[in-house]
Amino acid sequence: MSYALEVKGISKKYPSFELRDVSFALEEGKIVGFIGRNGAGKTTTLKSLVNLVHPDSGEAFFFGRSFKDHELEIKQDIGFVLGGIDYYPMKRLGTITNVTKAFYENWDEAVYQKYMKLFRLVDSKTPKELSDGMKVKYSLVLALSHHARLLILDEPTSGLDPVSRDELLDVFLKLVDEEAVTILFSTHITSDLERCADDIVYIKDGSIIEAGDMDEYISRHCLVQIESKQLPENLDDVLIGIKKNRNGWSALAFRTSSLPECCKTSDATLQDIMVHLEKEEL
Amino acid sequence: MFRNLMIKELKLALHPASIMFMFFGAMLLIPSYPYPVAFFYVCLGIFFVCLSGRENSDIFYTMLLPVRKRDFVKARMTTVALLQVLQLVIAVPFAILRSSFGIPNSAGMEANTALFGFALMDFTAFNILFFTSYFRSPQKVGKAFLLGSVGLFVMMLVEEATTFFVPFMMALDTPDPVNLRAKLTVLAIGLLAYAASMPLIYLGSASRFEALDL
Repeated sequence: MSYALEVKGISKKYPSFELRDVSFALEEGKIVGFIGRNGAGKTTTLKSLVNLVHPDSGEAFFFGRSFKDHELEIKQDIGFVLGGIDYYPMKRLGTITNVTKAFYENWDEAVYQKYMKLFRLVDSKTPKELSDGMKVKYSLVLALSHHARLLILDEPTSGLDPVSRDELLDVFLKLVDEEAVTILFSTHITSDLERCADDIVYIKDGSIIEAGDMDEYISRHCLVQIESKQLPENLDDVLIGIKKNRNGWSALAFRTSSLPECCKTSDATLQDIMVHLEKEEL
Repeated sequence: MFRNLMIKELKLALHPASIMFMFFGAMLLIPSYPYPVAFFYVCLGIFFVCLSGRENSDIFYTMLLPVRKRDFVKARMTTVALLQVLQLVIAVPFAILRSSFGIPNSAGMEANTALFGFALMDFTAFNILFFTSYFRSPQKVGKAFLLGSVGLFVMMLVEEATTFFVPFMMALDTPDPVNLRAKLTVLAIGLLAYAASMPLIYLGSASRFEALDL
């Protein structure tokens, strides 16, 4: 199988936080959501991939090449966006582009012009004059113009209004379909993933708890509703992240679990899974 | 790649004030003034470059380009060297003009050849303290500037004060071409210190910056 990115055993210890043996792989041509609550280690993991953060152990391989040994070639092949662009807010986009393009061997001016037009961006604007959504789009334009085969985006949709988020997710889908780009994007907005992701990588407290097909992962779980004031006993072993709600109790369970009659089950969404799994730690 | 990084430094990172400060060599025309202070301003300009770099996420932008961390260090230090050397070059005609006045500088060192040698030594002190601190923690650019400035001003203070009572320094505090050989020696020592220190500062700074988590 051909991987755009393979992450092998990345660990990093801070006084108050630890990434533990983070490993996952991205198949080429897929959209992969990197999910986890705030502070779970998403940004630290992404930064570790390109040595912005130095892992204590472990390594990332891009298109089969070690980042440590092939940093410059790999950077030619990827686009890495940390949030929207917040650099040089007072400089014209045209100036930033002119400086940026000189670094890329495969810079394609026609592609740049195409996406600038498509995203309704103009060179005379400055980042300060752009909305958050437009900033992310400009970052994408820069990445796509040097024919990046892998886009790594840290929370590209956070802070965007629903319409801008939807537009951006459309762009992701189109890029994968038309340009065969692989996309890894971190988010804590589960609906974004359900809209466009093929796979998910779920990080919790610095450890990967799931990496694989998103639909299969969701289908493994069901949402359990118990309409009772008193929580029945002996359910702790089968229910995950039991939460009190207006009508009684809700929890998550595996589809394969044997549940008593008082448990009404329904399909779980990614948000249900995340909310109850994160509740489980408390 | 280095050429591209230098273009990035000049087009995106350079603060306009740092260009303006290069022309502060004109302060050598002030009849009575501690002239080494004129060379402090270019260091202030360097602080502005690094400070605005922090505010503009210059390091993050650069680190996501196909460059290595040490390349960024090299480009930034070359930019600084460019600013410092250009300021000295621009100051030369003002020093010559000031010498033509025929009025001694009662506030300290004359605007002569030795002054430029001392300026290079002052820059060396600033660069050692500034860069070793800056590339350890670029977010704390104020602390790096404070350390660099302390080094710079201690050097200036010693140079200026000793012109009043140390015989060798008093001999240097004369208009050109009086005691020119001694002054040229000071200039040569300044040039040597500056030229030799930059690669060493680069090596130390690059290894600090390489180890830094951004």
